[in-house]
Amino acid sequence: MRVDDADRGRVWLRDLLGEVTNAQAWNGGKPRTHLNLAFTYLGLVALGVPKPVLGGFSKEFRQGMADRAALLGDTGQSDAGQWEPPFGSGQAHVLVTINAVDDDAVADRLRDLRAQIDSDGGLAIVYVQHAHLLQGAREHFGYADGFAQPAIEGTDEAAKRVRGGGVPLKDGGWRPLAAGEFILGYDDEDGSPPNAPPDPYGRSGTYMVWRKLHQDVALFRRTLRDAAELYEDGDETKLRAKVVGRWPDGTPLVTSPEEPDATFEPNADGSNDFRYAGVDPTGGRCPLGAHIRRSNPRDALGWDGLLSFRHRMIRRGMPYGDPLPDEAVEDDGAERGLVFVCFNASISRQFEGVQIQWLNDGNIFRLGHDKDFLMGDSTATAKMTVQGDPPFFLAPQPSFVTTRGGEYLFVPGIAALAAIAGGA
Amino acid sequence: MRSSNESGQAYAFMAMTPIVQGEESDLRSYLEGIPRSSSPLAKLPRTHFARWVILEEFHHEAGQRRREQLKSQYLIFTSNFDGPLDSYLDELGEQLVEEAGEIWGRCYGCPRPAAGAPLKDYLLHNQIDTGLFFAAYADATVERVVASLDQRERMIDFAVETQGLTPNELQRRFRQEFCP
Repeated sequence: MRVDDADRGRVWLRDLLGEVTNAQAWNGGKPRTHLNLAFTYLGLVALGVPKPVLGGFSKEFRQGMADRAALLGDTGQSDAGQWEPPFGSGQAHVLVTINAVDDDAVADRLRDLRAQIDSDGGLAIVYVQHAHLLQGAREHFGYADGFAQPAIEGTDEAAKRVRGGGVPLKDGGWRPLAAGEFILGYDDEDGSPPNAPPDPYGRSGTYMVWRKLHQDVALFRRTLRDAAELYEDGDETKLRAKVVGRWPDGTPLVTSPEEPDATFEPNADGSNDFRYAGVDPTGGRCPLGAHIRRSNPRDALGWDGLLSFRHRMIRRGMPYGDPLPDEAVEDDGAERGLVFVCFNASISRQFEGVQIQWLNDGNIFRLGHDKDFLMGDSTATAKMTVQGDPPFFLAPQPSFVTTRGGEYLFVPGIAALAAIAGGA
Repeated sequence: MRSSNESGQAYAFMAMTPIVQGEESDLRSYLEGIPRSSSPLAKLPRTHFARWVILEEFHHEAGQRRREQLKSQYLIFTSNFDGPLDSYLDELGEQLVEEAGEIWGRCYGCPRPAAGAPLKDYLLHNQIDTGLFFAAYADATVERVVASLDQRERMIDFAVETQGLTPNELQRRFRQEFCP
């Protein structure tokens, strides 16, 4: 939404405060809808947040994603100049996220939201994006997605997620990550709270990255089908697994290099428990440049994982658009892809660090300029090496994914929301 | 100058010059305005890595006993290049005349014009020795690094193109490409 009038915008926010979903435990089962708020820098400015507070937000947040798009690799078709309005235009101020059990629940909540805006005035809805889980919790290229998340100290899920989702220890065990890697106001892995705007604005808040990524599913299918013709070590499904580092059902290549594990359950305890350095240092099982190995190298970079664990993020993305029918290899012109969402205490160290150094480049993995194959290459000249004897090359790398737009946002804690609404 | 500035044939140079009070933001704007795609430092082809950094103030850690403050902001220039130092600074004094005026010209004591021997003397006067210089391939000149990278690209392109050939055909192609 765009804020057109600071006073009325704050009234609207104040009226909505009681309905913002917080961290309190549910009693009475899962609510029908959740509602959360996030703000771009310009949104905070538009709502009249005081200047000394504004200066406390991070530089990259204040600059905004569009100005940094080239750094993120959004070039060619993904260039910020071609983004869907309002992304990058300065008009995206407030993001209201409605999570719901079904489409009707979303529609009802959205209707109420619109009614409240009409009545309070001062704001306008400038964009609506629907997203929904696909069958089998897969994303559009066909891979199970979203189940691997960081284990965060102090959370209910930490114990369940720690093996695989935490920091790998020398003795083979794991430990959870410090909360401050994801939430401001708590100690991070460096032992002190991360940079944050002054209290109460920073307390219990976090930075959010929101990106709409269009996926050319037909192109991806054709590319893998054609490449598989030369691939001697397996079939197209195995090649698909090599690109990501997991079989389409989520089984990790490291633990099951030859075929998916029929008993694999993404949400089972320990399903994410594997590491690279001891069992697969040269990438014969999971390629050195596979998507999951790039985005979370675990212990693969040496130094007992010290280079990895400050670059984790909580992902909460969701696919949008209807699936392309299973056997189709020609594009139907429909809009589909992934709304990528992540939360981190530092956009530049976490999201941008991974995007720029680990996904869009291969230097740290000794892969030269190679970039993540799954995300495609806008110049269509890149390649991926599947380690083996002999190695196999997936080349050239077409442009599968186009950035349609995005924003950097701040998710205030409850006290901060009240401060923004109070105009204090 | 100390040999700690050298590693193999490579040299690490650093000069720190105080920025004229009031000129700090103009200097910062100028440096930030240098296009990423065409650095003036490319006019010094012996340069491996070089950069200008503006040092604004000491960072005060909570719990530090004394609070230290700089009397002015400082410009740091570092460059790792193929030695020797003397001729490199001669080249710098000839090639970066326009930029030197905009950059060091905003620092105290810089000669006017910021060029030639006076500029070289100014930079030498403000040199700070390197404590530890690590060069991964200390005997590799820029020319050699670039040639190696080109060769790597050729090798990669060859490997991708010849994927799937029989051993005999691969050998034939290899000879054709690399042993003419």
